[in-house]
Amino acid sequence: MIINFWGREIKANVVVGAIGAFFVAVASSMFGFGGGPFMVPLMTVVLGLPMYVVVGSSLLAILFNTLMATSKNLFFETVDFKLFAIMAIAAVIGGYLGPQIAKRISPVLVKRVAVVLLLALATQLFGWWG
Amino acid sequence: MMLKKMYYLPGLVVVFASLLVSDALARQDAAAPKSDGKSAAGSARIAVQIDKTEYGQEATVKITGKAPKGKPVFIEVASEKTVAVRRLDSKRDKETGKIPYIFYTSEDVPAYYVTLIPKGMSDKVEALKAQKDEWSYSGALKDLGIDPAGLRPAAAKVERRKTSIIAVIAGSRGKLMEPLDEKGSVKSVLPLYKSRFKSPARLLKPVVDAKPDGSFEASLKLPKGIADGTYTVTAFTDKAAKTATSFTMVLPAGTWYFKRAGMAMNIFGPFIMALLVTMLGVLMGAGGGFILTPLLLWVYGLPHTIAAGTVLPTVLFSQMSGIYNYNKIKFISWKLGLTMGAAMLAGGFIGPVITQLISLSQYKSWFGGVLVILAGLMLWQTLPAQMARNKHEQEILKQFKKKAEGAKKK
Repeated sequence: MIINFWGREIKANVVVGAIGAFFVAVASSMFGFGGGPFMVPLMTVVLGLPMYVVVGSSLLAILFNTLMATSKNLFFETVDFKLFAIMAIAAVIGGYLGPQIAKRISPVLVKRVAVVLLLALATQLFGWWG
Repeated sequence: MMLKKMYYLPGLVVVFASLLVSDALARQDAAAPKSDGKSAAGSARIAVQIDKTEYGQEATVKITGKAPKGKPVFIEVASEKTVAVRRLDSKRDKETGKIPYIFYTSEDVPAYYVTLIPKGMSDKVEALKAQKDEWSYSGALKDLGIDPAGLRPAAAKVERRKTSIIAVIAGSRGKLMEPLDEKGSVKSVLPLYKSRFKSPARLLKPVVDAKPDGSFEASLKLPKGIADGTYTVTAFTDKAAKTATSFTMVLPAGTWYFKRAGMAMNIFGPFIMALLVTMLGVLMGAGGGFILTPLLLWVYGLPHTIAAGTVLPTVLFSQMSGIYNYNKIKFISWKLGLTMGAAMLAGGFIGPVITQLISLSQYKSWFGGVLVILAGLMLWQTLPAQMARNKHEQEILKQFKKKAEGAKKK
């Protein structure tokens, strides 16, 4: 597929992209996370697309997954509305405060702390502690 | 740009406020006296009383009564509020050698349920605990001499669906099978109790102290986070002899009962958790769901289907505002986004079905695997070569954004 983006013609292997996107969507809708951290590397590293094409377009792609999974969850009655309202308000406020703090902190440090945190959570899920 | 994200906050606050009001109204309803207190109804052969008609979180219920001499006395304590519990039977049948793939659902499992058993049976509970995940609730009841007929499990309706990989791909939980008879429904609801309450220690408590003259007493410490509303206390020796009384559970202000989760939480807990996790998510460049869902499982023991289903839509707002902002400066390739989106739409159709069909332990171990991959991905991004590449990409991104914003102004 040839994409025209701001006067540039960019080639993308959408077959590989779509297969990858499908599996990211299955995992993310199954476990309840967004999927961005997997979609961005998929599109930049695997498909070799430049970051400026990926930032907005990946967000659009993920929205389809979130909308479909949410409608499925509504159908299966697995959305607790009160809990959703509480966390959605917190998420909006957090989404506003987050970037203010981001300006003052080194992104490498944050990512390394996140790695430790993710591994700690993973081992908790494996039942090694907690 | 960030301020625009706050546009829908007033709307959400209104939703929140209306929930608060409805919660307060529900509380007034619950405050109306419903308990028949100390009067013992039903069979004349067993008498049972409790020390209060109303209890708070973590209170101790003192139960006393009298039963015929020599028979072991059991006491069932159950919340009238129920939750939906689902389970896939994928254990190979020993006789036929086939995997049944039957999906069981019941909406009649009490949000809180326990059977108090004689103190002398504590070693049996210990033996069940030693079996880890392999323990059987129906086997345990048989061993203890408890007939569930006439108790809460007997009142449950259970739905069965025959499922298959094709059904999952079609986004379905399977084909509805003919309804179960009463005996079959009791038999199939007991594993659902096990799915909900997990450990034998939560379902069976050896606290009933029976005296030789037939009088008995037991005290039950109510755990934190259980449903409000009416609870029934039924003392029984066998199918024919049982007597019930009831009490009301009252939650403190700020603690709400979450219907789909089947549990009560102080609302500030999930609020602060979601706030901190979203902020961290922004900082690390990944959505908060990766951290929030496992935290909800770990801290509150929320059912995994509810945690996944409730956390996912919270990212909708930030996604939509992001798309709106990028689209305004024409920074989205709709051709690329829609093509990838079609594949993701299909994936989003299947994922929630799989969540329904897998057990908590499968969910946890697979999610742990996903987190390990993500951690690896993030570590790789902090390598010097990647950092340099990323910096370069960010520069180009900035230039393009400037160009796009400039074009918008003209």
